[in-house]
Amino acid sequence: MHERILAGNDRVARHNREHFHDHNVIAVNLMGSPGAGKTAILEATARALGPEANLGVLAGDLATDNDARRIRAAGIVAESITTGSACHLDAEMVHRGLHQLPWRSLDFLFIENVGNLVCPAVYDLGQHVNVVALSITEGEDKPLKYPLMFRKADMVLITKMDLLPQLHVSLEDIERNLAAVMQTPRLLTVSSTTGAGIGEWIRWLRSIGQPRPLACAAPAGAGRVV
Amino acid sequence: MQAMFDQIGTVIVAQRARSVRRVRVRIGAQAGVEPALFRTAYDVFRVRTLCADAPLDIVHVDASDELVLDQLELEVA
Repeated sequence: MHERILAGNDRVARHNREHFHDHNVIAVNLMGSPGAGKTAILEATARALGPEANLGVLAGDLATDNDARRIRAAGIVAESITTGSACHLDAEMVHRGLHQLPWRSLDFLFIENVGNLVCPAVYDLGQHVNVVALSITEGEDKPLKYPLMFRKADMVLITKMDLLPQLHVSLEDIERNLAAVMQTPRLLTVSSTTGAGIGEWIRWLRSIGQPRPLACAAPAGAGRVV
Repeated sequence: MQAMFDQIGTVIVAQRARSVRRVRVRIGAQAGVEPALFRTAYDVFRVRTLCADAPLDIVHVDASDELVLDQLELEVA
């Protein structure tokens, strides 16, 4: 039969992507480990880009709506997707979450995925781009330990750069490890606290174009052995 | 795992099968799925289903991100 096990998710992701395309909404899947600074990046993005563009956020979390409340306090619309025991978002969760937002009027929809460097990389949500937040405090070897996450990334944000002087961490080693796993290494160093690098991040967001081509699932066969 | 069992259920209905004899999946090294954990999850999910007696064969695929339900052997009436 040879059918992708996540073919059902891929169909919903394709549906989401068509929605985004039809309404000129750029969808950004923001991933990273717990505490990587994803919500802080969105708060900084709201301050920098919010006055000029309509932004919205779907924030995934196992429990609580703390992230969505923080983002709303920064002045942009945000809703939570509480996943319970699920360690990632899938396309259906995002589709249901869209009903909670005025998403058609957005210029950018940020999907803050559940803090996790493994499972979120496996699920297509219908996004235009994958962005991974990697805090400088996480050390140099995360790209090598979690290669799939970084291989799927269109952009890596090295966050909390204001803390670098306090740490024994080599930015050059992080860059080299990213280059070892990413087909087209692309990273920005940022600090949500000082605002350093946020301008470059906003410029990159503005440069995002149309969605990538849709993946096609192999058709299922028939017969006794399928 | 739930997605795979949904697919198997669809095939069982379409083929009017009584049970599943064997399941084969292909897992790429870059799929983000650990084969050993996949097998553990399968053993949990198959309890009291039509796959209860169906062994799982995992085909490991290098340099690929595929995660595919590759073949089912069915017991039909």
